[in-house]
Amino acid sequence: MGVTLDRVTHRYGGTLAVDDVSLSVQPGALIVLLGPSGCGKTTLLRIIAGLLGQSAGRAVIGDQVVDALPPNERGAGIVFQNYALFPHMTVAANVAYGLRARGAGRAAAADAVERMLRLVRMETLATRYPRELSGGQQQRVALARTLAVSPRVLLLDEPFGALDKNLRLDMQIEVKRLQRELDITTIMVTHDQSEALSMADRIAVMNRGRIEQFATPEEIYDAPATPFVAAFVGTTNLLRGRLAAAREGFRVELDGGGALWLREAAPCAGEGEVMVVVRPEQFRLDPEGVEGLAATVRMVLPHGPFIIYELSLADGTALKVTAGRGGVAHRPGPGDAVRAALVPGARVPVFPA
Amino acid sequence: MTRGGPRLAEAWQLVLPLTLFFVVFVFAPLGLLGLVSAYNEPELRTMGLAQYAKFFGDAFNVNILVQTLSLALKTTLLAIAIGYPLAYLYTLAPRRLQRVLLLVIVLPLLTSAVVRTFAWIVILGRLGIVNSALQTLGWIDAPLTLLYTPTAVVVALAQIEMPLMVLPVITALTNIDPNLTQASAVLGAGRWRTFWAVTLPLSIPGLLAGCLLVFAAAASAFVTQTLIGGGRHMFMPVYIYQQAIQVYNYPFAATLAVILLVSVLAVVTVVNVLGHRSRGFVHG
Repeated sequence: MGVTLDRVTHRYGGTLAVDDVSLSVQPGALIVLLGPSGCGKTTLLRIIAGLLGQSAGRAVIGDQVVDALPPNERGAGIVFQNYALFPHMTVAANVAYGLRARGAGRAAAADAVERMLRLVRMETLATRYPRELSGGQQQRVALARTLAVSPRVLLLDEPFGALDKNLRLDMQIEVKRLQRELDITTIMVTHDQSEALSMADRIAVMNRGRIEQFATPEEIYDAPATPFVAAFVGTTNLLRGRLAAAREGFRVELDGGGALWLREAAPCAGEGEVMVVVRPEQFRLDPEGVEGLAATVRMVLPHGPFIIYELSLADGTALKVTAGRGGVAHRPGPGDAVRAALVPGARVPVFPA
Repeated sequence: MTRGGPRLAEAWQLVLPLTLFFVVFVFAPLGLLGLVSAYNEPELRTMGLAQYAKFFGDAFNVNILVQTLSLALKTTLLAIAIGYPLAYLYTLAPRRLQRVLLLVIVLPLLTSAVVRTFAWIVILGRLGIVNSALQTLGWIDAPLTLLYTPTAVVVALAQIEMPLMVLPVITALTNIDPNLTQASAVLGAGRWRTFWAVTLPLSIPGLLAGCLLVFAAAASAFVTQTLIGGGRHMFMPVYIYQQAIQVYNYPFAATLAVILLVSVLAVVTVVNVLGHRSRGFVHG
């Protein structure tokens, strides 16, 4: 069941939380609303769930406009950030709650509860109370409770925020497995870019109530549509300079000193002040070279399989560069003068400054 | 462990004044009360349990205790019936209205019980507001006897002790995670099911606390019991007063006080145990 948002706007008092957002989610897809806190992503999720009425625009689930429907008739199941399990009910009673509320008999509900708890691998803990469960277990119960009423759309609000790092990965895999297995359209909200990149079929990057880019994780990372997306997703160097046409492409004279040659300039190809976005892995270090930007090593941070170098350009502009651990005969240290050159074939986005 | 902060060994000195206060003005009088109740005669000559035997040997006395506890129970039930909806309304009201409501709820606490009791006399008396209104409307020919009835005592007490019920319930209700009621709605429950299955059970600890306060206050509300009850219906506090101040039978008065104290404490203990069990559901 697909979900479509058509020019949805929401105001809290005087502030614009969601600003004219249109979004179309394919049936069975897992999409992630990614953005900093206060960008309107949770508001959008609550609008779809029916917990908030939007100020303007339409929300469509399947081919049904759901704006007039109360939460319980929309077929949207939501898992809250803090799971919101009923503390005075056992795991089984929590999972049965929605079924009972929808008029299922005791026996039918019990069957469904057993099936759902098996699905999330919690069948042995059915008689426990939420306070006796770990964070991951509580989340499994919350998922089972939501999925038990067979929602058409699954909404997840910061689902992994309360889990510690190791558990987080397990639950990400678990949620992805459930989503695939049930083939259920899922909209997830997070501020964690790595979570978004690893789980989403498509990511909608949000900022100040607007969608900056809606694309696959690869596109978001490799071809950010706006400087905000470039800066928010992944680590980047934002370099200011002047763009000019040159032989076989373009040349960017950087404010911080030195110049970069680019084969193509996108999305902005107009001459003048620009901002170039270079990922740390799109630079390579050339200790003895003459090519590339002249810089001084400030700090070396070994990061397991790769090393992060913090450099500074002539005017002090900081530059992050990552390099593989192997294959470098001479590893520069703090204070060394180096050259940072673009990796051949690197696609570097250029934005008007 | 906190380091650098005050330690228990030093901090106990801070509660010394309070401890002394309690010893001198609470525990010592209570001890004295127990001691006096253990004398057989008003002249305090021999010690024994004659006073207790006298109390429980006479159905008249036991009936007064039963009436007192039943008065407290009825007051508590009425306070729930009126106070819980009020507290629930408060939590649903917009913030600005909440301030007004809170003032209205707390207002009775700002006036003395005597003043509130007299207000009820003005309302319920033969020439009171209720009777004159009904007569003006022509619904009754002669004034109804509203004052000096057990029902009047219950109604007045419920109003006077209302804040003690409403405030703890408000606290319990506002502590409920709003996501829980939203989760209930999304899962398919209507307002009533959400209330009965989620809101009410999670507010039980506050409700029990309110019941305790109202029950204990109602059982010992000397002024209201006397003035609204009009002395026609005997309750334990009035009985104690009579025995001590009018009859000078200190041992029997002390015995009545001890029995009332123990009875109320017993109820409080039972409710507390229930409360702990339900609190277990809410926190953790």
